[in-house]
Amino acid sequence: MVSRLREKCRIAGLFWSPRGLVPEARRSIVRVTGGKKGVSTTVRAAAPLVTEPVDAQASPSPIVVGAIAVAGCAAAALSFDLSLGSEFGRAPYVHATLVAWITLSYVLCGLIAWRRRPESRFGPLMVLTGFAPTVARLEEASTGPVQAIGDGLSLLPPVMLLHLFLAYPSGRIERRFDRFIVVSGYAVVFGTGLVRLLLEGVGLDGGSNGVVNAQRAAIVVLAFGALGALISRRRSSARRFRTSRELLVACFALALVGLGVGIVMTAVDAPGTYLARWVAFGLVGTAPVLLLFGHLRAGLARSAVGDLFVELRSDPEPSELKDALARALRDPSLALVYWLPEYGTYADLNGQAVALPRPGEGRAVTLIDRNGDHVAALLHDPAVEDEPKLLEAVTAAAGIALENGRLHADLKARLEELRGSRARIVAAAQKERQRLERNLHDGAQQRLVALSLELSLIESKVEGNPGARAQLDWARREIAATLDELREVAKGIYPAVVTGHGLEVALEQLAARAAVPVRLAVHVGGRLPEPIEVAGYYVVSESLANVAKYAEASKATVDVSKLNGLLAVEVTDDGIGGADTESGTGLRGLADRVEALGGRLRVWSPNGGGTRVRAEIPCA
Amino acid sequence: MRVAIAEDSVLLREGLERLLSENGLEVVGSSETGEDLLLKVRSFSPDVAIVDIRLPPTHNDEGLRAALEIRSKHPSVGVLVLSQYVEVGLALKLLSESAEGVGYLLKDRISDVKEFVAAVRRVAEGGSALDPTIVSTLLARQRADDPVSQLTPREREVLELMAAGSSNQGIADSLVITLRAVEKYVSSIFGKLGLPSTGSESRRVLAVLLYLRS
Repeated sequence: MVSRLREKCRIAGLFWSPRGLVPEARRSIVRVTGGKKGVSTTVRAAAPLVTEPVDAQASPSPIVVGAIAVAGCAAAALSFDLSLGSEFGRAPYVHATLVAWITLSYVLCGLIAWRRRPESRFGPLMVLTGFAPTVARLEEASTGPVQAIGDGLSLLPPVMLLHLFLAYPSGRIERRFDRFIVVSGYAVVFGTGLVRLLLEGVGLDGGSNGVVNAQRAAIVVLAFGALGALISRRRSSARRFRTSRELLVACFALALVGLGVGIVMTAVDAPGTYLARWVAFGLVGTAPVLLLFGHLRAGLARSAVGDLFVELRSDPEPSELKDALARALRDPSLALVYWLPEYGTYADLNGQAVALPRPGEGRAVTLIDRNGDHVAALLHDPAVEDEPKLLEAVTAAAGIALENGRLHADLKARLEELRGSRARIVAAAQKERQRLERNLHDGAQQRLVALSLELSLIESKVEGNPGARAQLDWARREIAATLDELREVAKGIYPAVVTGHGLEVALEQLAARAAVPVRLAVHVGGRLPEPIEVAGYYVVSESLANVAKYAEASKATVDVSKLNGLLAVEVTDDGIGGADTESGTGLRGLADRVEALGGRLRVWSPNGGGTRVRAEIPCA
Repeated sequence: MRVAIAEDSVLLREGLERLLSENGLEVVGSSETGEDLLLKVRSFSPDVAIVDIRLPPTHNDEGLRAALEIRSKHPSVGVLVLSQYVEVGLALKLLSESAEGVGYLLKDRISDVKEFVAAVRRVAEGGSALDPTIVSTLLARQRADDPVSQLTPREREVLELMAAGSSNQGIADSLVITLRAVEKYVSSIFGKLGLPSTGSESRRVLAVLLYLRS
């Protein structure tokens, strides 16, 4: 499997390394955590994927692992033996078994983690933590110096546990507060251990209750501090870590409460102390399994990058790239936007401009450069930033495909621009026609009506002069005829009734005046934007005109409906079909008008099978 | 008889005022906008309001909206809508509930003073006035299975006048026939079209209009 993947990666222009996948060409990754104004911007120029020395990443050899495993078993056996002789006499076997179980579980889970993710310090740290209880158990030894060491370091196990929990999952303590807790913990253990040794050296009782209680109180305070840190981190952690981290916090909290109760009960010598201690020990012993689980899951991300490579090799459509990246980063909310330098903006795959999220919107941005050019940006869950390596690997892997995606977005943006200018041309022409129609209406038409009225008023004043009356009457009829013609002209220039009263009202007249019986059905539920109504009107008027001229039809239907943000206008007839969609300027002009609005016009006109014209115009 | 006018062309508004007052109608309010007309209708309760369908500010449907509002808020006031174009769809909208006290005429009709004043009076009295163009467009409309084609030429003439809002007496005067003859034609037309013949003269306008539209 690995070798096959290695082969595939080589084909994809990448080298396989035991640490993961390294792109052939280094790419610089600019990470922006703020918005446009760049609240905090980190530039990692040419960030390499491998940052640690090669020998640090080698898996421990089987011999080392075997030796440590044997040592772990021996330590468990020793702890068991020593615990049997401890003062917790009531059920010595239970206590001893739990101590041995803690030792074994940490050492063995630690070894697995180390083997599986050798680059992480988490595994070795876990193994060391496993040996801590045995060191502490040495206080039960009979020999003096050994017992003194065990005595001095009796609180080492809880401090190492704190260290381990806070270092989850990377193995490093990355926050200042965490570091403070861990360093303080070790200071308490070794410092007070030293104090006890010194006190005993001068013959005082180093194991006095005062010193021991102070030690324990300090550790309990630090443990609660660590618990707070874990809980606060849980909020910000990526979804994929959340479950294991929540379990971890719960486990830790319970163990802590158990230990606290145990310490208090020991102090007051209450009955049931054993039980609290057992529960706490049992939980502490269970934690390694959870830690291992979470730790390895973080490691799985690497194989996600591998999958991504395989997917990219099959040359996915630009539209699939985003999903592939979302899968690899396990962030379903991920969005990919491309930088279009000519437009000075980011755009999605459809060429629509997209603004980067502003700080405080709960989204993180990672910019992707390629060969010195800014190419794209990933908009993702801030939790993804918990794994900078994964993010780098994924963005690096996406290289060529991103370039393709950007070309695609650029093309779409240009098409969009073209469509926009086409729409503007149609809109400008329409506006001009509307202006002409209004000028006619408010000017010539009104004046003629007024003139005609004036003639009528004069007519009433020449009652006794039949000759003059006849002439006036003739003049009035001429004006009426002129008005009729003017009305037709005006209507041809612009269908003002559509703008004034809507598509539904305007279509009534078209249906009433059609050359064949028309069944009209309009379901648009109110007004639509004016350009859409006008386009719809022209589709019907042009189609019905064609029916009259060419179709030899006996009837026609006009269906106008609005569905899913689309205005559908359909005109059908039962005529001879065979409409010429190319040479006739009518249909071509209609198509232009409809396409300028982002819609499309289709014509079905089989010979002898009638004609169906359907326009669909987005009107959301 | 009291009239309110809304017309934004000064020339036409003044012509209308003169025409109406010379024919014994009192113009109680003259407006340029639909809003102003509504104010005058509220204040002066005219018998009829004459409204240009295109009024400022947008010259789209302000006039029609004012007309519809008068019809719903002041049902006793007749509304006569004037327009440079007549549209079947607008006629249907104006008459959607009833044809009582409503008219819709092409603006040119005002130059036929006698007819126009008669139409204004008819609308003021609760009758109807529908432009002959509407009626003829609807009559000319193609139908698959057409009872209209079974009408005699005379019956067709009567139907046109009836649909335009003329009363039986008006039809008798126009066609120079007796009232009885008109009544006979009307019942014959209703029979052929399968329409119930009961109802007032404006109710039959709507019935005929809807019949012709379907």
